[in-house]
Formats: sequence, C-alpha cells, structure tokens
Amino acid sequence: MKLQLHHASLQLGKKLFGPFDFTIKSGERIAILGKSGAGKSTIIRLIAREYQLKSGLILINGTSMDRYSSAQLSQIRGVLPQNTQIAFGLVTDLVIELGRVTAPNKVNQETIVMQAAQMACAEHLLGRTFNTLSGGEQARIHLARVFAQLWDANHGLMLVDEPVAALDPGLQYQLLDTIDRFARERNHAVLAVLHDINHALDFDRLLLVEQGRITLDCPADHHALEDLERLYGIRLEHLYDSQGDSVLVQVR
Amino acid sequence: MRQVVSPLDYSAWGARLGLLLVGLIAFLIAVNLGALQIHHSDWLQVFNPQNAYEGASYVLWNIRIPRALLAIMVGAALGVAGALAQSLFRNPLADPGLLGVSAGASCSVAIGIVMFDGFRFIPAEELRIWAIPFFAFLGAIAVCFCLDYVARVVSPGSIAGLLLTGIALNALAGAVIGLCTYLANDEQLRSFTFWSLGSLASARWMMVGVLFGALAIGWVWIRTLLQDLNALTLGENIANHLGVDVSHLRTKVIVLVATLSGLAVAWCGMIGFIGLMAPNLVRICLGSDQKRAVPYSAGVGAILLLIADTIARTIAIPAEVPVGIFTALMGGPLFLILLRQYRSRLD
Repeated sequence: MKLQLHHASLQLGKKLFGPFDFTIKSGERIAILGKSGAGKSTIIRLIAREYQLKSGLILINGTSMDRYSSAQLSQIRGVLPQNTQIAFGLVTDLVIELGRVTAPNKVNQETIVMQAAQMACAEHLLGRTFNTLSGGEQARIHLARVFAQLWDANHGLMLVDEPVAALDPGLQYQLLDTIDRFARERNHAVLAVLHDINHALDFDRLLLVEQGRITLDCPADHHALEDLERLYGIRLEHLYDSQGDSVLVQVR
Repeated sequence: MRQVVSPLDYSAWGARLGLLLVGLIAFLIAVNLGALQIHHSDWLQVFNPQNAYEGASYVLWNIRIPRALLAIMVGAALGVAGALAQSLFRNPLADPGLLGVSAGASCSVAIGIVMFDGFRFIPAEELRIWAIPFFAFLGAIAVCFCLDYVARVVSPGSIAGLLLTGIALNALAGAVIGLCTYLANDEQLRSFTFWSLGSLASARWMMVGVLFGALAIGWVWIRTLLQDLNALTLGENIANHLGVDVSHLRTKVIVLVATLSGLAVAWCGMIGFIGLMAPNLVRICLGSDQKRAVPYSAGVGAILLLIADTIARTIAIPAEVPVGIFTALMGGPLFLILLRQYRSRLD
C-alpha cells in the first residue's frame, strides 16, 4: 500500500486546509502533532474520505481514491474516530463484528471478534451494551472493531484519531503497543493524531501541523525538539530514565 | 485456534414461538367476536357449495377473516416502516406518522381526488382502486426525500430538527388537505372523508393479497440490508469506513419506508403510533440488533393493530369506533415514556 497526497486541499466554511503533500508507505508509522484546531483530525478525515477535496489528488497505490468503492477501501483502510455516539444500544460483540460487515471472507467471524477484543484489552466488555460503557471502554471496543476490519488484510492503512485520549496512563501505553504490534504483524501503515509528545517519539515520522498546513515532516527523533518547542510554545528538556530511555519533559 | 461455539439461542426461539402463539390467539378472538355469533360449523360451510355465501359463514370468510388479515398486514407494514425509519434517521422517536410521511400520503390523495375528480378519468372500477395507493406512495416518497434532505443538510444529526421538520410537514399537509376539502364538491368530499377517517372495515381479500405480496417482496430485499443498517447505527462516517455505501442504502430504505407506509395508508387511512410502538417494544425486550428488531417489529405491529381493531369494532356494537383512537391511546403514553428516556439526546 502506498498513499500519496498531491497538493490536496480542502475548504471548510472559510477555512482553507492544505495543500498537503506527503507519502505514506506500507508499515510506516506516522504521528501527527499540533495544537488543537490546527487541522490534525481534518487530515485524518480527508484521507478517510469524509470530506471532498477542493483541489489536488489523493492516490492509493497510484489510483485516485475516488475510483475506489467504499467496500474496496474498507478492505485496506481502517479508521478509529475520535468519539462517537451510537444511536441504539448495540451489544459490544455486534459492534466489533460490524468491522467485518463488507468482508468477503465471513468464516471464523466469532473467533476474529474474540481475538480482536482480546487484543484491544476489551474481552471482559463482550456481551455488554455499548451505551453503558465509559468513554475509555467505548474507545477499546472501537479499536477492536478496527482490528476485526483489518484482521486478515496486509499492507493496509490505519487512521487513528487520538486513540488513547480517554484512557488512563497505564492503558495508554498498552494500547499503543497493541496498535503497533497489530500493524507490524500485517505490515499496516499507521497514521495517528497524538497529544503526547513522548508517544509520538515512538513512531517513525512526525508531521507537525500549524494553521491547516504541514510545517514539518521529519523523522521522529530528538532533532525535532526545537520545532516541537516552537510548535507548542513551550520549553522541553531531554532526560533519561533509569532504564536509559530518553523522555521529553516540559519545563517551566 | 480456539473455536467459539455459539449456544443454541433459546431466547430467539422463545420470542418467535411466543409471538406466533399470541398472534394466533388474537386472530381467533378477533374473528369470533362481533355482532354475529360464529359457530364452529361455519368455518367449514365455505367448502359446501350450496350455502357457501350465506349467513355466518359469509360474514366469517368475507368480512371477519379478510379484516383480521388486513389488520395483520397493515400492522406489519407499519411496524417494519417504523423500524426502518428509526434506523435510517438513527432515532428511536422516528415514526412515519410523526414525521409527516402518512400526512404527505394523505395530502397527495386529497389532491388526487379533488384535481382528478375522484379519479373518474380511470374507466374501470378495478383500476380505480389502485389510484389511491399510487397517490399515497407519491406523497409518502416526497416527504421521505424532504426529511432525508433536512436530516443531512439542514440540521445534520439533530433529533429536534428532524421532529420539528415532521411537525412542519404535518402542518403543511394539513393545510393542503384543508384547502382541498374547501375546494371539493360534495361527492369528492364524501369520497375523501370516507377514506381519511380510515378504518379496516373496507377490507377485501384483494387488499390482503397485495399487502402480503408487498411485504414478502420487501422482506427479501430488506433482509439483505439489515447488517448495513446496523453499521449505520454507528454513524454515517463509520458506516462508510466499514465499506457500506451509505447514500445507496439511504435511497433504498427511503423507497421501502415510503412504499410500506403508502400502502398501509392507502386502503385504510391514517393509523398512527404503530410504527413507533412496535419497534420500541421490540428494542426494549430483545435489543437493538436490526436483524432482530425489523422482523419482530412486523410481528408486534401486526398483533397490536389486530388487537386495537378488534376492540375498535366490538366495544360499541353495532357502532364502530375509529381504530386510530385505540392506537393513539396505547401509543401516546409510550411516546411520553420514550421522550423521558431519550431526553438527554434531544438537542
């Protein structure tokens, strides 16, 4: 899978986003960082085909995304949205199973649902009604749904919008590691909107977004420190923990 | 790999058997109640060529049974239309009557009767009976597309916006109906009033057959859409991400809702609240999986209307009370309960 954006731009009301130019290859893990309102989620939603392009092109494997049917796209691309409301009280098993609603291969559905739930640390939530779950639990069910969707795909793309925002710190790392493992096993690319800089530094590449434009596209290492300081208007310090791993902390 | 074996679903079989049993009992009570006493022997008289069309046997086979079956068919059509409308608009309070679909159908019929002078241009009586369903369908589908436009463009995702649109469309249809009755001559007025007062009294075997055919064909189509409708429950964008072609699905469901509620309204006038009550009762008892909610709504709608109609025609023998009164008596309180339950989501 190769995703290319060529001068892709978008207009929402009076606000102009883009033009965006970048390429995502199979297995790459890219984090999008930026202040709120900068247009991070907009990039995700643009690639998820929730918006119409104003100009430019989005290519998947060299073919314009508009030429794909929804069903074709769903075989290679999963989307974990920020927060959603479900109209009726569905059972969590069904929500996860819906990840495979257009899957051509319907065998072992229940096994896949079970394993996807296990992977997303949500197996204890099976059999409950979605609407009665807390925000963090709902996020885990949605993650399991995306896992179920891309379970037997390879070289796909996962678009995730603040996957861990509603979770407590312990679970945040656990789930990010899970997304990472799931994607690596299948060589899926991951494009994620993140808030935590340290989470982002575990990725391969960073896209910094400011006022609807990508101002920096760089490898995720400490060379990006100065740009991150400028982006958020804060000062960051580079420290090492007891294991010798580096962490960035904000200093006053 | 661990194989997950799903246990035999007893609750589903229980619900199916229970519904069938209740339906059968309601049907037997319905055909036995009435001004004329029915004896067991009358059931078989119809097979006796000498007196097949006499007395109690005639009443049973040509009035009571078609009427009970028509109540079942109309109730099922309204139940399914309600369940589909609710899943399309992602809103448990959507109902063809409440949203103005039935009023649109009624309004279109009024225009048809007045403008085309009681469909007199159609020469054959057998064909004229089809003019009203056709106009009802046109009105219903126009309102459906209008609602769909509002639900997506004018006030996306807003329950209040949708219900207010329904109120506006109901008022608009009411105004046009008023204008038509004002302009109508005596005969047209009688023809329209007779229809719009609505009852199942004019039931004929032909109507039962048409509705049964429409439901059977509709069901073959609907069952292929149910899992997609479940995906739509998660939201339009997520359904698209999951590979469901939402705009096609929407058009299909609108055509189905308009056809079913148009046909239901066509021969027996406006019957409210069945489309609201049946699906919500099913959801409360069996959960919101559309694969269950839609078919069971048909069964529950059928039973509710059969019971309401039986009460309506027997409570004041020999007079007959409009069936809509009893559906509203059951539905009104239920609607208030639902409103209370979903009030947090009304903004």
